[in-house]
Amino acid sequence: MTQNFIRLQNVGVRFTGDMNTDGLIGWLARKRSGESAPGAYTVEALNDVTIAIEQGERVGLIGLNGAGKSTLLKVMAGIYMPTSGIAETEGHVCPMFEFATGFEMHQTGRDNIRIRGLLLGMTPDEIEAKLPEIEEFTELGEFLKYPVRTYSAGMFIRLAFAVSTSINPEILLIDEVMGAGDIRFAKKAKNRMFEFMEQGKILVFSSHNFDLLKSFCARTIWLEKGRIIMDGGTEDVIAKYESSQR
Amino acid sequence: MKHSYSSVDKSRLLRDVIRSLLLHRVWFFIGIQDVKHRYRRSFIGPLWILINLGVYVGAIGFVYGVMFGQDLKAFLPYLMLGFVAWGLISASMVDAGMVFVSAEGYIKQFPYPKQIYILRALVSSSMNFVMGLAAVAIVQIFLGTFEVTGWLLAIPGLLLLYIALLGHTTIFSYLGTAFRDLPHALAGVLQVVFYLTPIVVPASVLKNHGLEFVYLLNPIYHLIEVVRNPILTGSLAPLSTYGFVFGYILIVYCIAWYVASRLDKKVVFLL
Repeated sequence: MTQNFIRLQNVGVRFTGDMNTDGLIGWLARKRSGESAPGAYTVEALNDVTIAIEQGERVGLIGLNGAGKSTLLKVMAGIYMPTSGIAETEGHVCPMFEFATGFEMHQTGRDNIRIRGLLLGMTPDEIEAKLPEIEEFTELGEFLKYPVRTYSAGMFIRLAFAVSTSINPEILLIDEVMGAGDIRFAKKAKNRMFEFMEQGKILVFSSHNFDLLKSFCARTIWLEKGRIIMDGGTEDVIAKYESSQR
Repeated sequence: MKHSYSSVDKSRLLRDVIRSLLLHRVWFFIGIQDVKHRYRRSFIGPLWILINLGVYVGAIGFVYGVMFGQDLKAFLPYLMLGFVAWGLISASMVDAGMVFVSAEGYIKQFPYPKQIYILRALVSSSMNFVMGLAAVAIVQIFLGTFEVTGWLLAIPGLLLLYIALLGHTTIFSYLGTAFRDLPHALAGVLQVVFYLTPIVVPASVLKNHGLEFVYLLNPIYHLIEVVRNPILTGSLAPLSTYGFVFGYILIVYCIAWYVASRLDKKVVFLL
C-alpha cells in the first residue's frame, strides 16, 4: 500500500497573456485613435508556495477571491504546471472544480455520465455498474435521455456532482462547490459530500464557510496574492484571517 | 499513480504521451461519441459519407476520366482512394487546430494528459476514411478488380499514414491553440495543394507533361501512394516512396516534439 501525498516545493505559477486579442480591427482602431497598445500582461498566480500534505490529512484553503486557491488546487491536480519549483502528487486525484463546464452539449445526459466517468478514471465496466445509482441520485429521470443542451444550470450540477461523487477518491480536491442545486438537492448533496469527504485519503478544499472548515479540517492554509500567509491549526488561522479582514 | 511536475522536468512529456496511449479506452470512446453526435438526428446517418463520395466520384470521375482519357475501371477507385485519404490528411492539419480548444472544458477540469484529445480527434476523423475504404472495396468487387494481396500490402502503408497523421495532428493542435489564425491560413493553402497533388489528376498525366516535380516532392502524395498504390496495383509502392515517407515522418516527429515541449505547459493558459 503506497502512501498518498501532495508535496509542493517553492512552487510558482506565472502566466503571461496578450491583451491584443481583438485582432486586426482592434489594431486598426488603436492606430487611428493613437492609443498605445495594451501589450502583454503577467499574472503571478502563485509565488514560492511550499506545502507538504501527508496521507490522512484534511486541509482547508482560505483567502479572498483571486488569492490563488483555485490555481493551487489545479497545480495539485496536475492541470496547471508550475513555472518554477516542484509539485509532486502520489495517488489518484479526483478534482471537483467546475460543475458547469466539460459537457458534450449535443449528447445525452447518460453519455455525458459515461464520458465524465472515464475522464475521472473509472473503467467502462465500473461506469455501467454504477450507472443506475448515479442516475437515481441525479433525479433527472427522463431527462437523461435528452441532450444536455436542454438542461438548466441546476441540472448540470446534479449530473456532474453525481458522477464525481461516485468514484473512490484517494486525493480529493474540492473548489467551493457546496451550494449545489436547489434546496432539496443541496441538502442531499451535502450529506453525500460529507460521506465522500470521509472516504478521501487526502482532502484539500477551498471554502468561505468557516464552520465547514472547522468541522472538517484540522489544518488550514491562508493564501493571499499567491503566497502563503499562514499554515496551521484551523481555529488559529481562521481567527487571524477574520481579524485581518476587519 | 504518481504525478510529479517540476518546472525543469524533461521526461514529463514523454510520460504523458505514454500514459495517453495507454488510456485508449478514454480517447476511443470520446472519439466514437463525436462520430455518433455528427450524425445524430440525421435520418440516414453515416450513409451520407457514401452518398457524398458517390456523387463526387460519379461526377468528377466521369468528366475527368474522359478528359484525361483514363480507363474508368481503374480511375474510379483511384479517385476514391485519393479523395478519402486526402480528407483524413487535411483534417489532421486544419481540424487539428481545434483539438485543444474544443476540449477546453475537459482540460481545465480533469487531470488526464492533453494528448488524449489528439488521439480522440484522430479517431473521430477516421470514420469517413474507414467508410471510404469499404466503399472502394465494394466498387472493386463490383468491377472485378478486387485483390486481397493488394489490400494486405496496403497495411504497412496504412500504419505509416497513421503515424504521420499523429505527428501532424500534434503539431497543428498545439500551434492552432497558440496561433488562432493558423487553421484559416492552412485551409487556404491546402486548397491549392489539393490541386497540386495527384488526386483528381492521374500522376501519369502530370508525368507526361514533364510536371513530375509537382508531386515527387509533395509528401502528401507519398502518404497517399503508400495506401493507394498497393490497393490499386496489388503490389507495394516503389521503395523510394516508402523511403520518402520514413524521412517525412522523422522530420514531422522532430517538429512535433519540439512544438509540444515548448507549448505543452502553456496550452491550458491559452484556452
